[in-house]
Amino acid sequence: MGKIFDFEFMISIIPDIIKGIPYTIEIAVFAFVIGIGLGFIGALAKIYNVPVLKQLTNIYVSFVRGTPLIVQIMLIYYAIPIFVRLINQRFGTDWDISWIPALVFMLVAYSLNAGAYLTESIRASLQAVSKIQIEAAYSVGMTTWQAMRRIVIPQAIKVGLPVFANFFIGLLKDTSLAFTAAVPEIMGQAKIQAGRASRFFEAYIDAALIYWVICIILERVVAYVEKRQHLTEKTGGVKA
Amino acid sequence: MIEIKGIKKRFRNNEVLKGVDLTVEEGQTVSLIGSSGSGKSTLLRCINLLETPDEGKISIADLSFDAKEINRNVRAKARRRTAMVFQNFGLFENKTALENIMEALIVVQKKTPAEALEIGLDYIERVGMEDHRNHYPQALSGGQKQRIAIARALALDPKIILFDEPTSALDPELVQEVLNVIKKVSNERTTMLIVTHEMDFARDISDKVAFMSEGQILEIGTPQELFGNPKEERTRQFLDRYLQRFTYVI
Repeated sequence: MGKIFDFEFMISIIPDIIKGIPYTIEIAVFAFVIGIGLGFIGALAKIYNVPVLKQLTNIYVSFVRGTPLIVQIMLIYYAIPIFVRLINQRFGTDWDISWIPALVFMLVAYSLNAGAYLTESIRASLQAVSKIQIEAAYSVGMTTWQAMRRIVIPQAIKVGLPVFANFFIGLLKDTSLAFTAAVPEIMGQAKIQAGRASRFFEAYIDAALIYWVICIILERVVAYVEKRQHLTEKTGGVKA
Repeated sequence: MIEIKGIKKRFRNNEVLKGVDLTVEEGQTVSLIGSSGSGKSTLLRCINLLETPDEGKISIADLSFDAKEINRNVRAKARRRTAMVFQNFGLFENKTALENIMEALIVVQKKTPAEALEIGLDYIERVGMEDHRNHYPQALSGGQKQRIAIARALALDPKIILFDEPTSALDPELVQEVLNVIKKVSNERTTMLIVTHEMDFARDISDKVAFMSEGQILEIGTPQELFGNPKEERTRQFLDRYLQRFTYVI
């Protein structure tokens, strides 16, 4: 009978599990960037009451928030092949689904998920900027887009930064579900190593520690950025 | 010269402006007085098209348009010829006092940063705020904010400046510093249209005073005419109430 807890094994597989970090980061960053884009469009549709687009956004947000992420991942995983086959059938193309790496499916799934959650956060951040400033921007001759870019968005980012940062940290941890689609990110690697030696607890402790370290680093970065942003408050509202 | 003819504006079932005519000659200061809800602010906002009038004609210097023709292009042109000072200041909170003044010069008027800086420094000095040029709005008092807002409006070199109750949101002790700046601007023959509840101030600086009631300009005249000898009964009632010339009946 072997050891109850194999500490050496736990240390020895860390380099293998670390190989999953790039996938984890890639999914999180990609989904965050695309999610910001989708969320911005959704937020504008809601704020400006754009017909059709607003209703679509409402359904999209409601669906994503009302279904588990794992279910969404499975839906995307099976939806894309069907979609490709439909295109092949309709246009006589000959696209091979097996050419699409599993990672791509995950990038799509996580982006759509992030977009829905960020729609509400971005809407709230944009609307936190007082309306009078927007009117003032119009009154000096700015276009809607100029007012957005120069006045509203910079302030909205400042307001929303803690929310966006926390969302990113949450997203990064949620990428662990990508292993269900055989993406070898941190959790996927841990599972592979665990299966090889039938030592699951050791491998998952490694995974947990790696996620934890990444999140601590991210929290530090966010705290630093926030501190820099509050610099003007320290100087009594004078530009440093 | 600003000329407004037959401006009508309705919000849902509420007709706020019922056909307003008003002319402001170049270099003149015209004050709009009247009760809350009489349409003064809406009239102002219809001139720079923050509100879109339903009917009527507006001309601002070389630009003339009918309410029916208002589109993005007309809006842009109207706003380039006007500037507005708001009751609640409307300073850009992510910009310093000086940057607030320079912003539209660079973004809208496409001046170089160096030109904008020169103009900005000139106007910030005119309102006596040069020592606060690097302060963000959060670090300024209401009176200081409003002086920056006035400098921002002046720096655009507009055909007319629209003041929407510029002292109504200020603490009483800060009102005078803002009125002094507005008076100075008025004395420099800037064309201005002011919505105000400061009757003494309106009497002091205006070339003409217009009394608005229920979406119409009921009476317009020189301060002496309007305050001294109002023709309309409603003007008289308003002024009596406002200037506390009560007739006590016991």
